[in-house]
Amino acid sequence: MATTQQGMEIRQSSASLRGTATGARKLPVVAKYIDTTICIGCKACEVACAEWNDLPPVQTEQRGSYQTMPTLHAQYWNLIKFNEIEIGDSLAWLMRKDQCMHCADPGCLRACPAPGAIVQYENGIVDVNPDACIGCGLCETGCPFDVPRYHARTGKMAKCTLCVDRASVGLEPACIKACPTGTLHFGNKNAMLEMAEHRVDQLHKNGFPAAAVYDPPGVGGTSVVTILAYGDHPEWYGLPKDPSVPASVRFWKRVLKPVGLIAMAGAVVAAVGHYLTVGPKEPKDQERPS
Amino acid sequence: MTDFAAGAAPPRTAPQENTVWNGKLVRHSAASRVIHWTVALFFFLALFTGMPIWSPIFSWMGNLMGGLHVCRWLHPWVACAFFVATIVMWTHWHADMKMTEADRGWFGPKLIEYLKFSGEDPNVGKYNGGQKLFFWFALLDAILLLLTGIVLWFSTSFGAGLREASILLHDVAFILFGVAIVAHIYLGTAAEPGTFTAMSRGTVSKAWARLHHGKWYREVTGEEKRR
Repeated sequence: MATTQQGMEIRQSSASLRGTATGARKLPVVAKYIDTTICIGCKACEVACAEWNDLPPVQTEQRGSYQTMPTLHAQYWNLIKFNEIEIGDSLAWLMRKDQCMHCADPGCLRACPAPGAIVQYENGIVDVNPDACIGCGLCETGCPFDVPRYHARTGKMAKCTLCVDRASVGLEPACIKACPTGTLHFGNKNAMLEMAEHRVDQLHKNGFPAAAVYDPPGVGGTSVVTILAYGDHPEWYGLPKDPSVPASVRFWKRVLKPVGLIAMAGAVVAAVGHYLTVGPKEPKDQERPS
Repeated sequence: MTDFAAGAAPPRTAPQENTVWNGKLVRHSAASRVIHWTVALFFFLALFTGMPIWSPIFSWMGNLMGGLHVCRWLHPWVACAFFVATIVMWTHWHADMKMTEADRGWFGPKLIEYLKFSGEDPNVGKYNGGQKLFFWFALLDAILLLLTGIVLWFSTSFGAGLREASILLHDVAFILFGVAIVAHIYLGTAAEPGTFTAMSRGTVSKAWARLHHGKWYREVTGEEKRR
């Protein structure tokens, strides 16, 4: 995004105290619906993403699978991951659309030191604001899904915006628009969850007893609602089993920084207190120090 | 002590360390002072470019440096300069800073005793145990800051575990330095009048030397121990 979206209410902002929320309006949280069970790996979403967001092409990489490149890239925000998993004597060919998960409790935003560089809109979309981004890469450490990427030319971090520019004017994201199979849908998160539950029920009756919705509570849920046929094994799809903001990042922000501030301010207070109570140590001789 | 012909101005050449010059004791040669202030300069540049990244409370420091983007770019470079200066300082001073038997216990009871300012051990040499401790602390902390800082500088090239450890250790190292530098500045200025000139003009008064570094005073002047 060129800037944070005009007119979009900001719920929270990186490295900022309360008061950065821009309005009292409570917008419904939006979400992508991804039904991995009917994804055919056509990559139309990849192309649509690159096209709508004007992302210059990135060199693809052949590693013996259909996957376009090994991981996400600062200029490639949407990647179908192809996984081959042996289950007993059969093989599952699993495809999953990898992109920013737009967590309700975003680790990137928690870790970011630049005020306003990562914002979460009232509708749940997490966005990077390049004007404020300093390209330090700390968001990458905070992200449990390994999504933000450093863009060497611009020196900024980049990732999927959930097409906030489209969503804010009532359009569905480009990837959703391009999907030919009905794998992808977009709407209010509650509606997407309802659809997903319905689909999971179907899968349960059709030979996938472990089918489940992936909406991990460790990050407060995500604005990407993913249906997995093997819901008990999200790692087969390259998804962490129980993701959360790293404990180190939470400790760093919530404990270490306040403690450090108090320690350093305490040192100043102690010095002043020492000066007032004990006083300076001066030579007692008649000869005064220069 | 050099005798000067009556009326003749004393030479303005840089005086030798640990000598008496113009009725004062020469504590730090020009080289020592230049090294110290070079370390200090880069320390504060690193501090003023690092603290706004550390917490938005210090964003005003970032404004002084030209903005947070400048800080992100400048911090690693001034930090490298700080590290190099610290290493130069180490080669220059480490012989004087060897901890001896007499310095034992400085990190604890002796430090508390010292801060009471009740009296002074007359057997303190050129540097007391606290000063030596600060010297070695600064060196080790600078190394820790460098190692963790390199990971943070090129954070996208390192694994998650190393990045997480570096975030925490860089913070801890900085907080320790922040606390230590407050003590260092306080003791070098307001708390002990006459100390600052040691690092500005390089000289200290005889009375100051007798009070704070009795053994060093006797070594330099050749005077006997009083009482």
